[in-house]
Amino acid sequence: MGVVCLERRPCWNSDSEEFEALSEFYYFVTIVGLRIIYCCCGTCGLFCLSEKKEGRGVIKIIIIRIESSLRHTLSASGEKPFIDQDTMLSMEVDEDIGSEATPSSSSTQAVASTPPAAVPESSCHASTPAMPIAAPTSPHPPPTQSSAPGGAGETSETLSSGGGESVMAAAGTVGSISVSLHPLVILNISEHWTRQRAQEGKPVQVLGALIGKQTGRHVEIMNSFELSFDELDGHIIINREYYTLKEEQYKQVFSDMDLLGWYTTGDTPGPPDLLVHKQICDLLESPIFLKLNPMARHTDLPVSIYESVLDLVKGSATMLLVELQYTIATEEAERIGVDHVARMSSHDTQESSLVAENLQAQYSAIKMLASRVRLIAEYVRASQRSEVEFNHEILRQINALAHRLPVLSNDKFHGEFYNQCNDVALMSYLGTITKCCNTMNRFINRFNLLHERLAMGRRMRGLFF
Amino acid sequence: MASSSTGEGSSGGGGGSSTPMSQSQIGQRMWEMANNMESVNSADEIYQYDCKQQQDILQAKPWEKDPHFFRQIKISALALLKMVMHARSGGTLEVMGLMLGKVDGPTMIVMDSFALPVEGTETRVNAQAQAYEYMTAYVEAAKQVGRQENVIGWYHSHPGYGCWLSGIDVSTQMLNQNYQEPFVAIVIDPIRTISSGKVNIGAFRTYPKGYKPPDEGPSEYQTIPLNKIEDFGVHCKQYYSLDISYFKSSLDKKLLDSLWNKYWVNTLSSSSLITNAEYMTRQILDLSDKLENSENALGRAGLFGLDPQEKKTEDKLSRVTRDSSKTTMEALHGLMAQVVKDRLFNQIPQAQQSQGQDHSQSTSQAQA
Repeated sequence: MGVVCLERRPCWNSDSEEFEALSEFYYFVTIVGLRIIYCCCGTCGLFCLSEKKEGRGVIKIIIIRIESSLRHTLSASGEKPFIDQDTMLSMEVDEDIGSEATPSSSSTQAVASTPPAAVPESSCHASTPAMPIAAPTSPHPPPTQSSAPGGAGETSETLSSGGGESVMAAAGTVGSISVSLHPLVILNISEHWTRQRAQEGKPVQVLGALIGKQTGRHVEIMNSFELSFDELDGHIIINREYYTLKEEQYKQVFSDMDLLGWYTTGDTPGPPDLLVHKQICDLLESPIFLKLNPMARHTDLPVSIYESVLDLVKGSATMLLVELQYTIATEEAERIGVDHVARMSSHDTQESSLVAENLQAQYSAIKMLASRVRLIAEYVRASQRSEVEFNHEILRQINALAHRLPVLSNDKFHGEFYNQCNDVALMSYLGTITKCCNTMNRFINRFNLLHERLAMGRRMRGLFF
Repeated sequence: MASSSTGEGSSGGGGGSSTPMSQSQIGQRMWEMANNMESVNSADEIYQYDCKQQQDILQAKPWEKDPHFFRQIKISALALLKMVMHARSGGTLEVMGLMLGKVDGPTMIVMDSFALPVEGTETRVNAQAQAYEYMTAYVEAAKQVGRQENVIGWYHSHPGYGCWLSGIDVSTQMLNQNYQEPFVAIVIDPIRTISSGKVNIGAFRTYPKGYKPPDEGPSEYQTIPLNKIEDFGVHCKQYYSLDISYFKSSLDKKLLDSLWNKYWVNTLSSSSLITNAEYMTRQILDLSDKLENSENALGRAGLFGLDPQEKKTEDKLSRVTRDSSKTTMEALHGLMAQVVKDRLFNQIPQAQQSQGQDHSQSTSQAQA
């Protein structure tokens, strides 16, 4: 019975929610009798307790923080590290581990006990500070899977809803990255689909790659391009060479954008999408998957964005999709362009007034605002009349919204606002003066001209007559 | 644009001629007709690429006989957005790219565009040569995914100084029109787009050397900064501009409509006075220079008092006036947006107080 140092690997820090390599090595030890593998970073003293299920390749990791003094005390006392079932249960770890930890009879393993391999044994050392067991009860994907940075922060209902063909993670799962999407991407995909449909004569599924920028947990999808793929036995295989060719090209033009994921068209995602997603995983860790439904009948934007997580489904590791919330990224020029193409059909009637043209966009936006506010007011009234179920959550939010008005009303704002008004008024004053000067100048010139002509005429007449 | 309206017209006609059906059935039928899922919608026919037809046109070359052959250009929504975004991403540097499309009678059609990895077209005449390799590789790759159109033109940006062709642009375009017909030159100004709230874009084709164009009448006036006026004036007669119209597919339309549901917030919250502050300052500086110029000219004219001289100074001052009016109007538009926002979101308290009293009264009545 003892501990053995098996290998050195980067260790993990559970302070942030992501797994980051903290130090260069940990000591990977096994305790026989329980088939428990735990590891401790030689420099930071962080412990990972994991149970490896033979042949499954899935490791549930529970992180236990241990005071370094405890470590030293234990090693100094010469006691051999030992975890028995009672100790396990008393450590308040995930119950699954406790129940599954069966003491096996085989005992002999290499015994080199290394100093940092201390065991958090609360029963032996009651005086030592209790280790704050930061044990998230949710299983994490194994650290070797590089989708870990994306996978942290899930809740623990991992088993997929229902069985069979569903590839979505359970409804409660929350994604870990925030996504903002540029309208250009949406139009790109739409054009790709329309073009293919026009050329083939019927709707076909299209596939492509998404590129953009990623900073930390925030992803901004800025552009996209088509990918070439082949269909073998109904499975879609992506043409790698085409991708590398295109990657080279777009790197020349958009040097700061990277591959973020891929897109396709269709309804709700299914297993064929997962197959393609796995292929993309070869090119990129934790890609994003965007699905656009061209046949959608509702008026919402039929675009859904997913990320993949690895989960335990009936004991085996499968990839499931988690839907992400996204926002539409805005950039002034893009907004104007989108506005322009969205409303170009109404440009048949030429607005002679520049003001009206300019205010058209504002007017439409305010109309939307008014309709939304009216909707909220209707809801409140309906709740009052008990036509609609009384939902405290929503009503509280409405109340909070109403209380936010006025948005900005302090003196400083008013000062700045009036400053701005005055600046613009000054500019228009200058403009008016310039116009005035111009008109005066022209008038005087013409007057002079007329006068001179008259004067010259009289002189001429005077000469001759 | 005409084709999209016929699509809608047919859906209206179909709904009207139905026998008594249930409301939902009628709605379904109308929706299907509007979206025309089985056959390609007439609005989307433009996306079909007929190889044979295009090759025939290329063989016939009707533009060789008439320098003024192409009169209109249709730009797809996607191409426009891509070009605007690329131009914007360049900031104050000129950027450049190519466009893919086809020809349909006297109309050129631009379906898509892509950026080229070169910088600053104004100073490097051989930028096109360097980009040639990229272009061939890109077009080749595009053909593999079903985009069969050919390169139909090039675009570049004039950040802040308007849409017109400079001397270098004119010579580049003349070269292109000799060897790569049909070709069109498009210029985009991203900064003016943002400041005026409308897309600032122009499409041009040059006349062949020595061709005397018939007098077209005054084209739309645009303000040009002082340092570029000469370049503009020398070459402005060597090219003509095409009428630009835009088109989008039915799916584009649907997506844009649903996009509006989220986008209206951004429209309302944009504050152009702040975004354009730098540009406006530059314009005012430019205006002051122009005013000084015209003042000097005026002074000289005062001494001589000759007719043609006066005409010139008049023009200068009138031009300055027009420029200043334009800048002022843009500032006023920006202020209008701010005032609207202020009224909407800050001027509520009085109304709310009185409404608050109403509400408390009504709730007390309800409770009683």
